[in-house]
Amino acid sequence: MTDHGYERLEEVIQDPVFPEVDLALRAGQHVDADDADRYAFLVAAQPLLEPLYIRYGAELVRAPDGFFFLLPRGDRLGRRHLSTGEMLLGQTLALMYLDPATVQAAGVVSRAQAMELLANLVGEQRLIAALNPRRRRHHEHVSHELARKELDRALRSLSTLGFIEILDEEKVRLRSPLMRFAEPVRGLADPSAALQRLARRGLVDLLELGPSEEPPEEGDEG
Amino acid sequence: MNRPFDLHRTIASLHQARISLVLETADVCFLISLRERGDRLSLASFEEDLLVDAFLQVCELTDPGAENPRKRATHAIQRLREQRLLARVDGAGLIRAGEYALTRLATAVVDFYLADDALTRDSLTVLTKTLLSQLADIKSAASRARDEDAWRRLVVEPLRVTVADLVSGIERRQRGLDAQQEEVRARIASLLQSDWFGAVDACESLLDQTSTTLRELNEVLLQDAAHLQALLQDIEQLAADFPHASAEQAAQRVAEHVDRVSAWGSDRLRAWSDYYQYVHRYLRDVVRLDPDRAISQRLREQIGSWLDHPFALGLAHVPSIRLLREVDASPERPPVTRLRQELESPLEEVAPHDARAALRERVLACLQSGATSLSEVVARVLPDVPERERYRATGSVTATVGLDPRARSASVRPWVSVAGGLQLEDWSLEDPEPSR
Repeated sequence: MTDHGYERLEEVIQDPVFPEVDLALRAGQHVDADDADRYAFLVAAQPLLEPLYIRYGAELVRAPDGFFFLLPRGDRLGRRHLSTGEMLLGQTLALMYLDPATVQAAGVVSRAQAMELLANLVGEQRLIAALNPRRRRHHEHVSHELARKELDRALRSLSTLGFIEILDEEKVRLRSPLMRFAEPVRGLADPSAALQRLARRGLVDLLELGPSEEPPEEGDEG
Repeated sequence: MNRPFDLHRTIASLHQARISLVLETADVCFLISLRERGDRLSLASFEEDLLVDAFLQVCELTDPGAENPRKRATHAIQRLREQRLLARVDGAGLIRAGEYALTRLATAVVDFYLADDALTRDSLTVLTKTLLSQLADIKSAASRARDEDAWRRLVVEPLRVTVADLVSGIERRQRGLDAQQEEVRARIASLLQSDWFGAVDACESLLDQTSTTLRELNEVLLQDAAHLQALLQDIEQLAADFPHASAEQAAQRVAEHVDRVSAWGSDRLRAWSDYYQYVHRYLRDVVRLDPDRAISQRLREQIGSWLDHPFALGLAHVPSIRLLREVDASPERPPVTRLRQELESPLEEVAPHDARAALRERVLACLQSGATSLSEVVARVLPDVPERERYRATGSVTATVGLDPRARSASVRPWVSVAGGLQLEDWSLEDPEPSR
């Protein structure tokens, strides 16, 4: 490796950090400056890795906020989109990331704050209905419990994907990749036009929420 | 020598003494006012009139319309005395009006609220240089000390009092700086909330000031802590060579204290560096790119309408590579069988053991040897019988003796004690009379 980066792809692949970064990117993780070693590797290797991933039908994206992620464009690499719970919670956490009140604690917020804000923004009943998508009528406390579990699952998943870092049972640290959730509203263009543009680039998928959105759980009837 | 601190005992005694501290705003203001007067007039203690005067001034500022301020002053003084914040120091009792001084507790409370003792490069340099000079003196005294008294006066006490106080002084100022940092953080958040884009320069300036202070402090600490530790190690070595256990322990304690002080510098610098990066990133990526703070509002609306116009971020999702187990030619395994064994174990030939027959044999042997009574036979046989079987055995012995032709029972049979606390109605054993 030279002072300015790698000269050949072989050097990149020989780097001990390459396998874990490659696996992380393929698993949908975002790598930001908080992840110092992997981030430094990607910054240095970006010019050589971009053509490599293009051959797999994917784009190594470096967002304006500095973080990296891998975006599949064809069907050579697997692709998924975030679930309802992940999207709702992710957008709420992005809103908290933008809030100057969170600057005092360097972006550390409590789960309870995030859940409360989400319920206020969406409305508790709508939120519970959205997180219990199979339209089966449950007792109220069962629906609440299912929604809570779904949000817990979403929080863990967002942490695995590098949007946040779970510090303990109660606290999470917000990370810059959360700005992906604010991408449709970052420009001055009409948000729906911005969404269309992002969808064409493959950064977002436009959805129709319905009963079939969520796969039935194992052991569930019907 | 210090007694080891016993937490349980301390808590128990505090609980038993029902220690509590209840301070109203006026009380805290009163204490601060007294401290200010003491400093300004160089007073070590306060006459009662001065206390009342100070309280009246506080009252005028905090509660101008209060009734009976003098009475309130008396109550306040009494309350502070009961809570050991004011101590009477003249010892004159009822003879004259008292003189009072602020206790250590009161001074600590005032220090906390004034918080003017934050660490600066200058104060830290003065403190560490004084500490180095003190330790050099103590080291020199330790190398000359020849007896217990010299070690105690010239090494242990200075280490315990002067040096420990200096190190505590640094720690206290460190806590002051910690509080200042918290304030800076709160101020940055508040500046951003109130002025958003206009606050960027002010925030950057605050960040840079604190970073510079922390970096300078850490440099001083790194540089001087090594010298302090070297001197302390020399003192500890001299104490170990003498040997003087108290001096060795005192030097160790100060060394631990110095370690803590120097660790503070690097810890705070690291924590501040994380915060510094976070805020700079925030200013660069959020504030500068959104000078009108429109993104938050638009994102709020996006969340509110997301269920009507849902979309989702796309991600790579390549499942982990499935690793197959290596093929391993399975070795020949013997069939699983059970260990064969005989269903019934062969019978063993053992000598019969009939306790009753054995007892009978012993009784007959006694009779043949010329025993003269039932009690004599029982007394000779019972010691060989286990205690819990003696009662039954006595019955068997009686039955065997009863078959003997010599057994005679008198019309009134005497009770005789035999072994093991048993008593029996005795029979005699007499030879039959010759026939006439």
